[in-house]
Amino acid sequence: MIVCVAVVGHQNNPLYIQSFTKADDSLKLHHIVHCSLDVVDERVNNPKKSGLIINETFLGLLNPTENYKVYGYLTNTKVKFILVTTDLEVRDADARVFFGRFHTAYVNAVSNPFHIPGKKITSRKFAERVSTIVKSFGLSSSS
Amino acid sequence: MEGEVSESCVESLLAEIVLVVGHQFSERYTMDRPRFTDNLEAIKFICKDFWSELFKKQIDNLKTNHRGTFVLQDNRFRWLAHMSIDPSVQASGNIQDPSAMAENKSTQATGMHLYFPCGIIRRALSNLGIACAVSADISNLPACSFVIRIKA
Repeated sequence: MIVCVAVVGHQNNPLYIQSFTKADDSLKLHHIVHCSLDVVDERVNNPKKSGLIINETFLGLLNPTENYKVYGYLTNTKVKFILVTTDLEVRDADARVFFGRFHTAYVNAVSNPFHIPGKKITSRKFAERVSTIVKSFGLSSSS
Repeated sequence: MEGEVSESCVESLLAEIVLVVGHQFSERYTMDRPRFTDNLEAIKFICKDFWSELFKKQIDNLKTNHRGTFVLQDNRFRWLAHMSIDPSVQASGNIQDPSAMAENKSTQATGMHLYFPCGIIRRALSNLGIACAVSADISNLPACSFVIRIKA
């Protein structure tokens, strides 16, 4: 089950953070997202050490902490997407599909003329689309 | 009635629009591509994909000095293809040298039309992580050259 998705901008400024748990641990999730940004930077700057293909957008599993798994995705415009999930059997392919849809939703949200680049995404439609993508992620991995 | 619009005025008005539009274009057109490994890849992206999305054709000629300067030449720049520079038309009474003055004005006006494309290219490149300055050269319309200087 996905507990949190986040969009982080070029200068590590948060553009969108949404948690999907009923419990009140959003602060802990923010902290996890923040820590994973360091891992993203490390992966990008040292591709040989981490065995990553240098121009891949999907960064894969970043760090399995406690009972969470964190996946990362870096776009060409240096925007990072972070996915935090409690599912222990998430496949890479599912995460890729998720990020593909998420990227599309993000581009559509940014194309809104009322959106200011660098500021937080406040579009309600984006939030709805993200919830739909999150729900379908859970279904596809369980089937 | 001819309105006088100064260049700096045009530049500041367009600056905000260019910021937003360049950002949106770069996000949308880099969406399905793998990440760029170096500056040349990003410039090639501008020459091919970006240009064909915006102007329905690719850049005709790309030159570089391998030290951070790129010259992109478009032999028929779509947005200026129908612009005419005719010095003899715009002469007015008391000016000493009417044809030169008018030619200056129309060249200036054409130059102002280039702020938008230059700005979009600059903004798209800076979104990809490349700080640069973009200028345009319209010495022979409809061919247009864009010079990109990457700031080291």
